[in-house]
Amino acid sequence: MSCFEGQLASWVAPAPIAKPLDNARTIAQLVAEYSTALYRVAFSVTRNAAEAEDAVQETFLRVLRHESRLGEIRDYRVWLVRIVWNIVLDRKRRAKTRPEGEDIADHARTLHSSDRAADQTVISSQEHARILALIDRLPAREREALLLSAVEELTTAEIAAALETTESSIRSRIFRARRELAVLLEKEGIPR
Amino acid sequence: MSGDMHSGSDSRIEAAIDTALRGMGSALPEPGIEGRILNRVAAERMAMEAEPARNGWLAALRHTPRFARQALGLATTGLLGFLIVAGSVNHSRRVGPGRVAPPALDLPGHGIGAASAEHPAAPASTPAPEGESGRASRHPQHGRARIAPHARKAPGVALPAPSSHKSSSPDSQE
Repeated sequence: MSCFEGQLASWVAPAPIAKPLDNARTIAQLVAEYSTALYRVAFSVTRNAAEAEDAVQETFLRVLRHESRLGEIRDYRVWLVRIVWNIVLDRKRRAKTRPEGEDIADHARTLHSSDRAADQTVISSQEHARILALIDRLPAREREALLLSAVEELTTAEIAAALETTESSIRSRIFRARRELAVLLEKEGIPR
Repeated sequence: MSGDMHSGSDSRIEAAIDTALRGMGSALPEPGIEGRILNRVAAERMAMEAEPARNGWLAALRHTPRFARQALGLATTGLLGFLIVAGSVNHSRRVGPGRVAPPALDLPGHGIGAASAEHPAAPASTPAPEGESGRASRHPQHGRARIAPHARKAPGVALPAPSSHKSSSPDSQE
């Protein structure tokens, strides 16, 4: 079969539909692939390990409840990030105030051990906590874009899809957030 | 000099922000998170599978495909609308048109008429018998009303005996 025939066959033949025969296996694959990224998304808002894990578990329970739609999802990562994002924001809204669980020791434990030594040369745990507290004072749109941009696995396009906006909007929000954060830090002064 | 200091401060702030964000974005969950998630999902699946037997048609409805649920919802809405319209039409047919409300009186020279005049509950006036005058007839030329001899009266009401016009007239006694 020539190249043209192959292309023709791919155009004429119906595209293979990603319809999982076994939803349980699909969910297990999603858990294996995305649970860490989802945990990071949740942790960026909750700053609490237990709450973040609970949000991730709730995310997959929602996936289970809508498993009949699994075949319709085009981008699992964006879909799952949107679910976990809505869960943590909803919980935060219900809690009204930021939980006092900004546990520095908890956070320090979650840092990569290889990064920790390098990070300690730049900022201490207290400075780290102060920067996170200042992030909470940013406007919601800028803060959300900045928090999601911190998650390693997410590209700007995926953040834009999760927040239902454009990539350029996300870039400008991140830029504004960093600028405002720098202004706030400068006002308060970084200890040397 | 001060520009160098300012740029140095800026870069230090930028580095601090980067470090804080990197630390937050690279947080690692407790080991075994996948197993815990899968266990919880499995428990939830078992609960969901046991649910239809307990909750009957409500749970079965939840597991129905979306288009079927939408069709069912549309059909139910249509049926409800039909029942409301049919009930309204049936009710309006049963209520007689004359009993709805008394018609407004259109009396010339009167701003407001007696509502009881046209009301079905008001007593109808009794017409005078054939060839006779009414219960009381007025003779304006003599200045007095005269009661007809065969006039119907309520029981227990005394009426003066009929007399001639001349004798009963106070003017004629003189």
